[in-house]
Amino acid sequence: MLTQATTGRAKRPSQPITLVGMDVYIITEDGIPQFDDYGAFKIEFVSNRGTKVWPGYVSDDLMLVNWYRCRFKATKAVTDAEVDVFLTALSKKWKWSAAQKLWNYGDEAGFSKAY
Amino acid sequence: MGKHVITMLPGEGTGPEICEATRRVIDHSGVEIVWEYEEIGLDCLNEHGTLLPEKTIKSIAKNKIAIKGPTTTPVGTGHKSANVTLRKMFDLYANVRPAKLIPVLKRPWDKIDILTFRENTEDSYAAIEHMVSDEVAQCLKVITWPGSVRIAEFAFKWAKANGRKKIQCVHKANIMKMTDGLFLEAFREVAKKYPEIESGDIIVDNCSMQLVRNPGQFDCLVLPNLYGDILSDLCAGLVGGLGFAPGANIGENVSIFEAVHGSAPKYAGMKKVNPSAVLLSGVMMLRWIGENAAADKIEKGMNKVLAEAKTLTYDAGGTASTDEYADAIIRAMDTV
Repeated sequence: MLTQATTGRAKRPSQPITLVGMDVYIITEDGIPQFDDYGAFKIEFVSNRGTKVWPGYVSDDLMLVNWYRCRFKATKAVTDAEVDVFLTALSKKWKWSAAQKLWNYGDEAGFSKAY
Repeated sequence: MGKHVITMLPGEGTGPEICEATRRVIDHSGVEIVWEYEEIGLDCLNEHGTLLPEKTIKSIAKNKIAIKGPTTTPVGTGHKSANVTLRKMFDLYANVRPAKLIPVLKRPWDKIDILTFRENTEDSYAAIEHMVSDEVAQCLKVITWPGSVRIAEFAFKWAKANGRKKIQCVHKANIMKMTDGLFLEAFREVAKKYPEIESGDIIVDNCSMQLVRNPGQFDCLVLPNLYGDILSDLCAGLVGGLGFAPGANIGENVSIFEAVHGSAPKYAGMKKVNPSAVLLSGVMMLRWIGENAAADKIEKGMNKVLAEAKTLTYDAGGTASTDEYADAIIRAMDTV
């Protein structure tokens, strides 16, 4: 019978991490947000509650709330300084609630796609 | 009534054989349906490079009604769920799953008639997941006010139209005070408009225990997506297993009817799987399009076959094949 913790802290093997984009959560009452390119960041999709609403087929009922996840993919290797510039530029036009870095771990994407 | 045009999505694994049995039974009920067969799922991905071809999407969007066989979703990795993709694409926000005791199937309870109304598009199923460090994964649980209000409204309207007496909101708002708290707040707001229906709430872990100990106490349950997924399977287990568990996915414009169970690929082609869940989904579909006489006829035929207990599939204690069971229902429909 196990009578005391013996396993210690589990450590997951680490992988090289690469910054490949940003998810930015934007609040707007004006429908699906449209974006210009921001330096090395290019819009890939916009989702509402996790469901893609741009580009592609959109049911009329999908824009249920005013909160959109906007995925920007980096078109080249990017630095944290470029992320700062990107968010500063974005803030001039948009109200956003959160931003999440998208990292690849080795060859694997560390983020889900939208439905 | 006139002819209906309905999209048939046989799916994969055992899907095509149970959908074919279902189609034969429904066609024998007297209802006039033109079936548009379309592809979906993993086989489709391998052949066409997509889970959900444009032709299938157009057919569903045009016909507004579809019945679907099961599709396969890999665990952990691989492609996304075709089911979830459909629900999200057509905003099928209300997942309705009845769990009603079938008298001839021996169960330890004498009364179960539970309707689960599962919010079908939000919660942790929004699929917003990130590895935020190499040791930490996070999933956003998205609960919205309009999404919560509309599933509560749907449940109360359904309950009122079908003579149900009581609705309970299932949640974990004692811990997730903002997400489940918002869901519960929306439910309570909607409940005020339906004073003739008793309403209340129950914490999800207690609800699970109560369902196993005393399921007869429950009538209608309204749940966020994840709890709804889990507890509706539990309810299915209480009344006879997934072989008898139908479901409807309802949106403002499109409705898709499907069994709760998966594609059971290890049984594919063996023609031994119980088609009742897809067939009962078809019965729900017929009622939804106003074909109540055809729905009654199928239900009576199926209940007669189950009562006679001569032609049952393996999960119900028999040895009949999928087709033999469907043929027995078709014969019984002529005598009820």
